[in-house]
Amino acid sequence: MNGEPARENAPAEDWIRRTWLVNGREVSLRVPPLRRVLDILREELGLTGAKEGCGEGECGACTVLVDDQPVCACLLVAAQLPNRSRILTIEGLSAMEEGRILEEAYVEAGAVQCGFCIPGMVMASYALLRRNSAPTERQIREALAGNICRCTGYVKIVEAVGRAAERMGRAAAGR
Amino acid sequence: MVTVTRRGYVGLPVERTDAIEKVQGKARYVGDVRRPNMWYGAIVRSPVSHGFVEGLERDPHFDWSGVVLVTPDDIPGSNVVESLVRDMPFLAAKEVRYRGEPVALVAAPTREAAHAAAAAVKPRIRRVPALTEPDEVVRVFKAGGELEYLWSQEIRKGDAEQGLREARIVVEREYRTGYAEQLYIEPQGMIAVPQEDGGVLVEGSMQCPYYVQPELCALLNLPPEKVRVRQTVVGGGFGGKEEFPSLLAGYCALLALKSGRAVKIVFDREEDILFTTKRHPSWVRHRTGLTREGRITGWRVDFLLIGGAYATLSPVVLARGIIHAAIGYRCDDVVVQGRVVRTNMPPSGAFRGFGAPQAFWALESHVDELAEACGMRPDEFRLRNIYRGGDTTTTGQRVPEQYGGPAVLRKALELSRFGARYAHCSRGRTMSDRWYGIGLAYFCHGAGFTGDGEARIRARAAVELARGPEGGPAVVIRASSTEMGQGAQTVLRQIVADALAVPIDRVRYPLPDTALVPDSGPTVASRTTMVVGAVLYDAAVAMKKALQRFVSRNFFDGEGCVLEEGTFSSETGRSLDFTRAALDYLRTTGVQQRFEAVFSLPPGTQWDQERFRGDAYPDYSWACYVAEVEVERATLAIGPIKITAVLDIGRVVNPVLAEGQVQGGLVQGIGYALMEKVGVAEGLFEAARMQTYIVPGALDIPEIRVTFVECPYPYSATGAKGLGELPLNGAAPAVGNALKHAVGRRIHDLPVTPEKLFRAIERKGDAP
Ligand code: FES
Ligand code: FES
Repeated sequence: MNGEPARENAPAEDWIRRTWLVNGREVSLRVPPLRRVLDILREELGLTGAKEGCGEGECGACTVLVDDQPVCACLLVAAQLPNRSRILTIEGLSAMEEGRILEEAYVEAGAVQCGFCIPGMVMASYALLRRNSAPTERQIREALAGNICRCTGYVKIVEAVGRAAERMGRAAAGR
Repeated sequence: MVTVTRRGYVGLPVERTDAIEKVQGKARYVGDVRRPNMWYGAIVRSPVSHGFVEGLERDPHFDWSGVVLVTPDDIPGSNVVESLVRDMPFLAAKEVRYRGEPVALVAAPTREAAHAAAAAVKPRIRRVPALTEPDEVVRVFKAGGELEYLWSQEIRKGDAEQGLREARIVVEREYRTGYAEQLYIEPQGMIAVPQEDGGVLVEGSMQCPYYVQPELCALLNLPPEKVRVRQTVVGGGFGGKEEFPSLLAGYCALLALKSGRAVKIVFDREEDILFTTKRHPSWVRHRTGLTREGRITGWRVDFLLIGGAYATLSPVVLARGIIHAAIGYRCDDVVVQGRVVRTNMPPSGAFRGFGAPQAFWALESHVDELAEACGMRPDEFRLRNIYRGGDTTTTGQRVPEQYGGPAVLRKALELSRFGARYAHCSRGRTMSDRWYGIGLAYFCHGAGFTGDGEARIRARAAVELARGPEGGPAVVIRASSTEMGQGAQTVLRQIVADALAVPIDRVRYPLPDTALVPDSGPTVASRTTMVVGAVLYDAAVAMKKALQRFVSRNFFDGEGCVLEEGTFSSETGRSLDFTRAALDYLRTTGVQQRFEAVFSLPPGTQWDQERFRGDAYPDYSWACYVAEVEVERATLAIGPIKITAVLDIGRVVNPVLAEGQVQGGLVQGIGYALMEKVGVAEGLFEAARMQTYIVPGALDIPEIRVTFVECPYPYSATGAKGLGELPLNGAAPAVGNALKHAVGRRIHDLPVTPEKLFRAIERKGDAP
């Protein structure tokens, strides 16, 4: 951030109004156009589950879903997100059945260590399982390739996503 | 999910205490914490690598209202970091010794304003010559030129020169490693909050609250009761949050006391990589004598670390490095000469392994070269030369009759089918599209502090009986050991629950707060499970005895009783529930009951700090990795395909957590082996972003197979030894050796990259 200290200092008349659906709730804000979505979520909305690990799209700790697509919230500024955009963060996912299944799988597999990468990992895992309900190990690894974890060596994370996929499959099949 | 069995919790995959709040994004890391009226701090840094401060100029066009500036003159106490060599200031007042060294601090209402203010302070510095490049250091050293040493230490056993003279074959080689970054995903961060009594509360991301607390007392000239340090949830440390957080805590505290407000500094990634500690670059030369049958007759090791501008932890990193430099193999005549060079770069510091990864890169690459020199296979050579019971290590420590080394080596060779596969190595000769290689590394890690460290620290920890949040009794662990992802919270709860024989959900372990916990020593050196676990076990046993006495007196008419699986049972079969008894005990004796214990080293431990002779560690954890790799012949792209890891960490307290530590440490080691690299340009680290400092991602990792062999620590009730660092130590040499057998060329400096392999192949005809 200290690279570009001035970017948020837009004069108040240039601020924009945005209405988004954040975790299913309508949220209206007036913000500087270049304010990062990550900062809006964390500072304005108190949703601190998305983390900042690098601020440049490399670590994935800030991953959220925008209109069902995983994105790095640190790379996105307010002006880029039109009205009615749907944003899903870990806080919202936690309240959903799929979130519960994923979280349980992560905990049981022992996939959580320091936890800093984990909300982003879970979001990326969810994005994968939305479009592919039975991913291969390779597909899981590919889907998580943009999320860096320095603690776990990924083995148990990949395992957790596999487990969650199975369970969601079972849940969907009504068993 | 876990039921109480007679066996208790130790040995079971109990789920992590902190997993749920982390996975739901509810865990509060320092970046998530906001205090009322909080300001943000920023650091004014030296623009030059070496020079003398002549003044600090404030840009007259900048609006200084609403900015607080702290210069060295504002420091109420001593402007020096308390370490073995007291050479590092918090803020450089006269001489600056590295580019980016802090010279002043600012705080302002927003982060942007603070950074703008920091940029508007211009230090005026008279520049003098600087030494920054590791290559230059090695060049000067080898040419016998002049260098400044921050520390030197020698270990001598027998007569290495004589041993080398008696050799039939002498092998001399040099090995190098570069800077490496811990890259915890949560950057460094701290908040200081001024208190009404003139004191300060500091909370943040740290491994060692009791490193920070005394440091702040000295810096701020405050008595200990006015300085309170509290850990927030830590997003990874790996050593990077061992010594550095004391500085950041000091900066926040100075700004908070001067501004009268809470002040927060959370680094962004660039500032974190540029100006916090790195793994010491190393240059190691082995000169080893062999008989024709492949026995070692004499051994000389020169071990050079690059320490940066100040000594900080370098003496202890060097100690661990030289003790591990020639460990594991029988030889009566050894000398290891260690030195740390001073340069004009940020101080090198703690990083998982702490000197041992450098030592084992050299040692285990070299042992492969020794095997080759006498025409033996790498596994054969090791089996012939590893310690037997009764041998002594380089420091003269006796190897016990039963130790984990031979077991892990044999098991790893067997599980990986090393012998059969070794015959299939390509050695750069086959015409197939991919070259295959298999290699091994045999290594260890001394558990706990080096030498007399544990004796000096005398780790203390306590358990308290108190009322839990829901009104029932709670056993509260009071220790300064921090959870940073490694699982300390869970593992220590398992140990305490077992010692007391109560259900684990009765045992709580809040994050350490120096106002509430004794000094259990820092959370470093793979010591928490082994050392602090042993202390907590004893403390919990003391609590158990007190409760049993109480119950026998008050409920069983003096009849003796034991607490088992949450129930007190008397000799004649009367029984009482733990909850009932504990609540009654609390009512009778007062609000809280604390039971404390202290660590003691094994009986007869001897250490001579001057000569580095004696029992260097209470015990050692051993491991053997077998790595299999493929190299694309056309592009020389390197693909590790499988690692077979066998480790002896003593008693395994939690197999899932332990396996996670091994997988994580091993993958960091693969990064060290193949991709992690920080160059130096104009006094700055070159790879200052995650775009340029590449660590392994989910697609970069091989199949990993982990097996534990248990050879318990004999001097504690738990039998656990150190785990945290061991898994990183051997990854690079195992991969390096496998690559050698795939390509037919050996690379002596880390990381091994396709470019280096290409150059080595181009130079055909050179020594391999
Ligand atoms: S913080 Fe957004 S990718 Fe790292
Ligand atoms: S659990 Fe620590 S970075 Fe992934």
